[in-house]
Amino acid sequence: MKIVRNIALIFVFAFLYACEDVIDLDLNTGESQLVVDAFLTSDSTLQKIRLSKSAEYFLNAQTPAVNNAKVEVFGPNNQRYEFISDGAGNFVYDPQVAGPLDSIGFTYQLELTYEANKYIAFSMLNPVPPIDTILVAFEEASTFTEEGYFTQFFAVDFAGRRDFYWIKAFKNGIPINEENPSSLILSQDASFSGDGADGFPFILPIRAAITDEENPFQVGDVSSVELLSLNEAVFEYLDQVTIQANNGGLFSTPPANIRSNILDVSGNLQEEVLGVFSLSAISRDSILIK
Amino acid sequence: MKSIVTFFLLTLSLGLFSQSNSYSISGYVKSADTGEELIGASVIVKSKNTGVSANVYGFYSLSLPEGTYDVTYSFIGYKEVVKTIDLTKNVSINVELSETVNELEAVEVNAEGREKNIKSVEMSVNKIDAKTIKKIPALLGEADVIKSVLLLPGVSTVGEGSTGFNVRGGGIDQNLVLLDEAPVYNSSHLFGFFSVFNPDAVKNVKLIKGGIAPQYGGRLSSILDVRMKEGNKKEFTGTGGLGLIFSRLSIEGPINKDKTSFLVAGRRSYADVLAKPFLNDNLSGSSFYFYDLTAKVNHEINSKNRIFLSGYFGRDVFGSGFVFNWGNATATARWNHIFNDKLFMNLTGFYSDYDYAFGVEPDEGEEGDDFSWESSIVSYSIKPDFSYYVNNNNTIKFGGQSIYYNFKPAVASFASDGLSNDISLPDKYALENGLYIQNEQKIGSRLSILYGLRWSHFMYLGEGTKFTYRDTVPGIRRPLERKEDFNQFDKMASYNNFEPRLSLKYDLDEVSSIKASYNRMSQYLHLISNTVASTPVDLWLPTTNNIKPQLADQIAVGYFRNFDKNAYEASVEVYVKDFQNQIDYIDNADIFFNEQLAGDLLSGDGRAYGAEFFVKKNSGKLTGWISYTLAKSERKVEGINRGDWYPTRFDRLSNLSVVAAYELTKKWSFSANFVYSSGTPATFPTNRYEIQGIVVPHNVDQSRNNFRIPDYHRLDISATLTPESNIDRRWKGEWVFSVYNVYSRRNPFSIFFDQNQDNPVITEAIRFSVIGSFVPAVSYNFSF
Repeated sequence: MKIVRNIALIFVFAFLYACEDVIDLDLNTGESQLVVDAFLTSDSTLQKIRLSKSAEYFLNAQTPAVNNAKVEVFGPNNQRYEFISDGAGNFVYDPQVAGPLDSIGFTYQLELTYEANKYIAFSMLNPVPPIDTILVAFEEASTFTEEGYFTQFFAVDFAGRRDFYWIKAFKNGIPINEENPSSLILSQDASFSGDGADGFPFILPIRAAITDEENPFQVGDVSSVELLSLNEAVFEYLDQVTIQANNGGLFSTPPANIRSNILDVSGNLQEEVLGVFSLSAISRDSILIK
Repeated sequence: MKSIVTFFLLTLSLGLFSQSNSYSISGYVKSADTGEELIGASVIVKSKNTGVSANVYGFYSLSLPEGTYDVTYSFIGYKEVVKTIDLTKNVSINVELSETVNELEAVEVNAEGREKNIKSVEMSVNKIDAKTIKKIPALLGEADVIKSVLLLPGVSTVGEGSTGFNVRGGGIDQNLVLLDEAPVYNSSHLFGFFSVFNPDAVKNVKLIKGGIAPQYGGRLSSILDVRMKEGNKKEFTGTGGLGLIFSRLSIEGPINKDKTSFLVAGRRSYADVLAKPFLNDNLSGSSFYFYDLTAKVNHEINSKNRIFLSGYFGRDVFGSGFVFNWGNATATARWNHIFNDKLFMNLTGFYSDYDYAFGVEPDEGEEGDDFSWESSIVSYSIKPDFSYYVNNNNTIKFGGQSIYYNFKPAVASFASDGLSNDISLPDKYALENGLYIQNEQKIGSRLSILYGLRWSHFMYLGEGTKFTYRDTVPGIRRPLERKEDFNQFDKMASYNNFEPRLSLKYDLDEVSSIKASYNRMSQYLHLISNTVASTPVDLWLPTTNNIKPQLADQIAVGYFRNFDKNAYEASVEVYVKDFQNQIDYIDNADIFFNEQLAGDLLSGDGRAYGAEFFVKKNSGKLTGWISYTLAKSERKVEGINRGDWYPTRFDRLSNLSVVAAYELTKKWSFSANFVYSSGTPATFPTNRYEIQGIVVPHNVDQSRNNFRIPDYHRLDISATLTPESNIDRRWKGEWVFSVYNVYSRRNPFSIFFDQNQDNPVITEAIRFSVIGSFVPAVSYNFSF
């Protein structure tokens, strides 16, 4: 798995004289909007939805929290799950209260009331295949990497249906993309585009993306992986986040706003609220490097 | 439409057969040194105040009443020849002109050829010869055709290092780039830093931006007509060079003296060869190089028939655990036939292909995992063109063209953990036809008109699947409504367009003229590219039932004047251009491996207008030009920028180029160029929000290209040292020392936004400069 860094090398040669520097810029600031960051799982742990407001681009601090809202999720048999504000922008549901949100195949509904406006969003809880194994291989140091252990996870996509996944990787419990949070590992069926990959084992670059190449595992580290099921709209959303958050250079695309899956109360796409509502099932595995 | 045809026929019948008792003088004008035809050489009879230009094959035909005439043959940079001809019957006269030794001499003996700027009906045309291209200081010392074209009025680029060029508000896919009449679908090496044309093999470059004659069609904005050298018919010669990027060698010579000649020219980059010792083990298998090979043979069968065969093959190859390569291949066969002294025919057949391949080879121990992807556009064409020299006042050209296309959007497969699958997309096929007729007519001694019509026709052919999409709110992916399968050669969609063309020239006096032109162009091929700079993997796609043909109308008016006995030529032109059916993309469009790509495309209008000022000094120790363009280029697409007009990504209000070459002594010559252009527009966010710890940029106004990046300016210089050599020695060498971007300006290509790596809550605006410092280079050129 040296492809990515070898492509990088080519570009180093191609753009020997290229340079990047940080500059000061005055931007226009637009109207502030409500932002919904609702990534829920079927786990029995505390479930959290964060509400905030968009702000000027160079705010350089966390965007302001929103607390004065009503946040509910509805499950099978109209079961209501109430998310309670912690006063810091987080709305929390404890699955001890009315059970986890774990009805596979059911479409859950988010209902949100803010400043007399009501919004809804839907997310079906899709199944997720198990992680069969994690393989470990030692690699020597190379031009861009330290020596260390590189891991790969093996899982097989469900055949006969279009699936969407988000793969989260951790080193000793810390996300490997901590310094670069917009670098996400996403998969459609078992590949990037999903074409022809239905029912396949996850393809190589995805399978091996759970190691930080610049900082591979050493003896005593724990490599762990979480495989989350997504809805198509959420996959598209996250895919766009990775593009819009890293959109520079010769081959950048026109910057675009990311379309939310949150609707107004009559079920139409709206423009007031940003963000996304997602509900995922999770498979997990981890390995201690020996 | 009808009125245009009537006008055409009427004018034709008026002027056509008025001179009866006359004879013709016809033949070829060639270089005495190499035997090459001189494109556009002047043939003038001063006593009758009349004359013609040799065509692109060096052929001319002139009709005069019985009598004795002094006929002057001239061409820029060549000594003129005067022949006294006693005309009592049709005569065929081939003339050879000798090159002048130096520029100063050229002024004295040859001012004639440069009157073309004012006398020709052509407008919005710029010509550059290989000599000029080689004088311009270039990045890493590599003389380059496309980079030279960028210094001409009306031409701009989205930024340094990007593929292609933009002419008068048109996209890079709206230029028909022709290499010996075969279209080149991607004119770049190394993404766009260099172009595919080997300057040693190039004879002549002509850029037509407006007043495009009916003989040309298929693209909206320009024709870049690159003609290769024919090969020296007199003796064997060679040229070459050693640069920092390429080493070059070309050889030409007679196979059969004065009858058959050939040219072979090749270039290869050698950064990989130089870098090899510095690469460690796991990179030693990597490759990164590019090369091209140009070859041509021409043969004079007899005085009435000549054939030319030419070919180009070039590739960029990158790889290291993966393979990534792309390139063009073209082959052209041409037959010049003189039916009689008034009717000349050229029949061209060509093949042109652009393809790329990307693949991943498994690492050791990772067999069973791979990926390969190939894509191409292949075209075959036949194109007859006739020139009928009716009389001195009328030259009719007519002809046609058929092009058959085969598009392969993706031939691809992959394997994962031993399981493999074919994920190819089906091929697409199309046939494009064109027919044209035009007449260039002189009315009185001052007025010339070129008028005509091109009819173009396009068929999207089976075998294939025709998709129909439902409409949505503009800007959102259109869902599939219906699909229908078609058999081989079934017509899936078809279009045709009438394209009227008109150019006028009126001489105000001996040194100045005004010109005006109108042209309508249609374009049936579309480059699907949603990035700032085009990438090598961008796809060409045909017009289909979903993608309409692009159309453009242009009106241009200009004033042309020469000064100081034609030492200076100057022009001012203004143009207005209107575009229809311009392709754009929905936000987050999925371009690759998408059989239903058309559902992600938008269609809109465009407009462009501008003024171009150009002064060129042709002779003396100091030569060069100043070009200034004031221009605007905009698009309007439902679903982008709230449906309002917005500037294109390559819109630049001001564009200035100063190009100068100074010959100090025989030993030393210097050249410099300075470019300044307004910053291109870019889309900047208005707000930020956070999702899962990621700071997402957001533009509340949904505006496109709402800001300008800073202006671009750059100075390049070069000095050429030609050591004195023994006149008897064939080997001649020169050293070229150059500095690109002398004052190390960090010209921004783009400004983008990112989270700080150490503290992701901090966001930064980052200026990306493709060339961030000065770039010195030295190269050695030789000829023998």
